[in-house]
Amino acid sequence: MSLIVDSLDLILFVALCAAILAGYPVVFTLAGLGVLFALLGTATGHFDLGLLRALSQRVYSIMTNEVLLAIPLFVMMGVILERSRIAEELLEEMARLFGAVRGGLAVSVTLVGMLLAASTGIVGATVVTMALIALPTMLRNGYDRRLAAGAVTSAGTLGQIIPPSTMLIILAEVMSSGYQQAQFAQGKFSVETISVGQVFAAALVPGLMMVGLYVAWILILSALRPRMAPPMAESAGRVDPWRVLSVLVPPVVLIVAVLGSILGGVATPTEAASVGAIGALMLAAPRLAPDASRWPIRAAVAAVIGLLALSRLFDLRIARQEITPVDQAAIWVAIALTVVLAWGIAVAFLRAGRAGVLKPVVTSTMTVTAMIFAMLIGASLFSLVFRGLGGDVRVEEFLTGMPGGQLGALAFVMALVFVMGFFLDFVEISVIVLPIVVPVLLIMGMDPIWLAVMIAINLQTSFMTPPFGFSLFYLRGAAPKEVRTIDIYRGIIPFVILNLIGIALVYAVPTIGTWLPGLLFG
Amino acid sequence: MADLLERWAARLDTVNAAVGLTVRWVAVGMLVIQFASVVLRYVFGTSEIFVQESVLYLHAALLMLGAGYTLAVEGHVRVDIFYGEASPRRKAAVDLIGTLVFLVPACVAILRYSWPSMIRSWQILEGPISVGGIPASFLLKSLIPAFAALLLIQGAALALRSAAVLAAGTTRESGTP
Repeated sequence: MSLIVDSLDLILFVALCAAILAGYPVVFTLAGLGVLFALLGTATGHFDLGLLRALSQRVYSIMTNEVLLAIPLFVMMGVILERSRIAEELLEEMARLFGAVRGGLAVSVTLVGMLLAASTGIVGATVVTMALIALPTMLRNGYDRRLAAGAVTSAGTLGQIIPPSTMLIILAEVMSSGYQQAQFAQGKFSVETISVGQVFAAALVPGLMMVGLYVAWILILSALRPRMAPPMAESAGRVDPWRVLSVLVPPVVLIVAVLGSILGGVATPTEAASVGAIGALMLAAPRLAPDASRWPIRAAVAAVIGLLALSRLFDLRIARQEITPVDQAAIWVAIALTVVLAWGIAVAFLRAGRAGVLKPVVTSTMTVTAMIFAMLIGASLFSLVFRGLGGDVRVEEFLTGMPGGQLGALAFVMALVFVMGFFLDFVEISVIVLPIVVPVLLIMGMDPIWLAVMIAINLQTSFMTPPFGFSLFYLRGAAPKEVRTIDIYRGIIPFVILNLIGIALVYAVPTIGTWLPGLLFG
Repeated sequence: MADLLERWAARLDTVNAAVGLTVRWVAVGMLVIQFASVVLRYVFGTSEIFVQESVLYLHAALLMLGAGYTLAVEGHVRVDIFYGEASPRRKAAVDLIGTLVFLVPACVAILRYSWPSMIRSWQILEGPISVGGIPASFLLKSLIPAFAALLLIQGAALALRSAAVLAAGTTRESGTP
């Protein structure tokens, strides 16, 4: 009996794994089990119910956390782009560019996945769009079903590893607080933190590396087994360079503006996300109302360019003592341009509303955001109880006692995250497991940025591991009947292996992850 | 019996439908204000804490008041390795038990431990988070009990609906020859 009572923390974790499988929403299972075990622990004298008084403050700090403020805005940017037909246009143009090459269609899927990843970061949207457009094209042209399915599924998951992405924001938050805990535990008084910008910078090169690995694999495979990925038989039409540019340039400008301003340290992720969402709206508006006048949108874009130029040439700060007449005139021009911009944005909103797009956009923004934050709150309640029962000490003892020291502990955590990825997705894994294990790994002396990158690739893998990778799930929903579920599962295996190779590469060559943040943030 | 339960569930649904379908528009407000603050900061070189905090208030309202509606539209993630294949009765049993054993205790705990700090905050009409901000922290603190209450209401609807499925099954099995 005393053995059972002494291992309440362990039983709690086992009970969690069992209960989650029943299928009740994870967040409530997590929080509810936490409360039940708090009561059980109080009854047996192993838990102090007073600890739960911290709950209110914890929830409050989650909802007022300025880092996480960027999440709803990035989600909104993604759901707007999802409905803007940009993915469709990109796919058509890329297929025209690369389709004639052996394996070219699959490569163009990966490249479009990369572009969408850098602008939206929403897995579901990317996979569904590609499954509806690229998959039938590949099958018609005689592609192997497994390769076609694998290419689409893996391309969809790039959204998580290539910044900006919600996953990386949450990961940055979790790593940062784990890093602070580790430093306190080591007795340091002035602690360093990790910013979202640093994690974005750290994930960029490895993300592109994953793109390179996928493309290389597709090309090698289609060279070795030409019948799996033949060149496109049907003509996709003439390549019109002007059209390619007009499709490619707007999203690339958006990517450079959003990502560049964050990595350059100019803007906070929240600010950049709002620019991204407004930009997405401007891209979507002409496509949502093809017959309406383009001038309001064009004028708004011109106004933005004008504002950028003016703020370079003149001192437009309005809150100062003396303003020269020239500056004053420039300020008036800037105000006029701002009015034009505001008008363009209003028109864009109106058109999105008329096209029936605005309602679903705000609804998914709310439900996705509420889901993520409820999970953060539930996990916070769970970890409060888990720590109160002494679970964190047990985890620390367990990890530091692993054979092989640092490497053993790291391997164990990575294996754990990988296996959990079969059943859970990144939100659950990063808020339930990482806060418990990350501080221990960092105390053992690992570099937080390096660790974050390896965990990020590992979490990306969770989207593609059968049976419950989200990406597979979306593909199943949108793929034609002739693609069997087993084709999807077998098709993704090489890409899962490529991800494991990616993790191994970052482990062996840490600079893949740490070089860019070191360069940008010192 | 099943009809009665279903009717009550539908009545409870209206609460979160009304709240959710209103609160979702906060997302537009949040985006517009945040973008305006970007223009103010990077073009006109001024930034107001008041504006910054209003984005934070809208953000908090969106995610806390939207949680109940998210439950209503199945937005909270389930692990459906077994659930996905289960019969409607089995799903109803999982939902009924899960709500009573997990959701209710969790929400009651959040309600129980956030209530006192909300009351205290209202008594002193607690001011802004930082100097120059919106002097209404008590509104933010009220969102926590509201979050729990909305989830309890939606949880009740889910439990009633599940009970209806279970009740309908029993009457059909015993009622038909």
